[in-house]
Amino acid sequence: MARVEKEVGQTIREFRMVQRAEKILVAVSGGKDSLGLWAILTKLGYQAEGLYIDLGIAGYSARSREFCEAFAREQGLRLHVLKLEEELGAGLDEIARSLRGEPCAHCGAIKRYLMNRAAVAGGYGALATGHNLDDEAATLLGNTLRWDLEYLARQYPVLPAGPKLARKVKPLIYISEREMVAYCLITGIRYIYEECPHSIGARSLRLKGLLNRLEDEAPSTKITFLKSFLRVHRLLPALKAAELRDCPACGMPTAAEGPCRFCRIKERLAHRAPA
Amino acid sequence: MVILRRRGQVLTVPAGKTLERILREAGVLPDTVLVVRDGKIVPLHYQPRDGEEFELIEVISGG
Repeated sequence: MARVEKEVGQTIREFRMVQRAEKILVAVSGGKDSLGLWAILTKLGYQAEGLYIDLGIAGYSARSREFCEAFAREQGLRLHVLKLEEELGAGLDEIARSLRGEPCAHCGAIKRYLMNRAAVAGGYGALATGHNLDDEAATLLGNTLRWDLEYLARQYPVLPAGPKLARKVKPLIYISEREMVAYCLITGIRYIYEECPHSIGARSLRLKGLLNRLEDEAPSTKITFLKSFLRVHRLLPALKAAELRDCPACGMPTAAEGPCRFCRIKERLAHRAPA
Repeated sequence: MVILRRRGQVLTVPAGKTLERILREAGVLPDTVLVVRDGKIVPLHYQPRDGEEFELIEVISGG
């Protein structure tokens, strides 16, 4: 599995994701990609700590947390845990029941907020996520089908730091899901195999299915699609540094006029009808 | 016969073909799974013998 580790090391250098002396916060879910990424970064000599967000999903979160805690214990690594219940007064199951919209969209916004806040507060040089080649190619296909230039401009393996914004890096972008499963099997990393119950029927899974059929007929479709995009990425209109202002409620940066999305979710949950 | 286990389901197929062919005939894209026996990855060109058992590990995840 030296190839996977070497490829990740090269990706980190190619995109100048992180300096040797910097501490990295790895967002871990208990899945193959994030735990595999944590293992690879540690093996490459980076000082990487984990962040697990307990989303309060019945029958899933407790198990996924166990995998993260077991991995951290076995490797002697530091794991930080945040609980959505303590942050918002509700877990994702309750959010899915109470708020309109896709649970995955709420979940993504909440996780991005909490991960950024933790990385900034902890003074980490970068926040690393386990997005792999299949994730990135599916996101790219989705963004391209809508010609969403803003999202396309923002889809890059490294997003720079800013005031109260951590640098975000995706060191696994050239590693396929299949390779990550193989990496975990060979290196003995135990991960949660079940899918999040809220992700059933998710759009990203349908896009991955389409790309897998294309890949089967024309091998290397996914890597070519992503690498070609990254080559022309600079031609996209420079992402207008969205006018960020401080959220009046929590003080974290937001492009919204009023409170940030996290605080709006918190507000709506506070006013939900009692169960 | 060759036995394939996938997420609790059992598929029984005749021997005499490569794993890749078996998977394709079962409607499974070979790259979307890893074929494992005794915790070890088995290459897709392997031709199972009668009575051999394998586990199919799903590769796709995410929401």
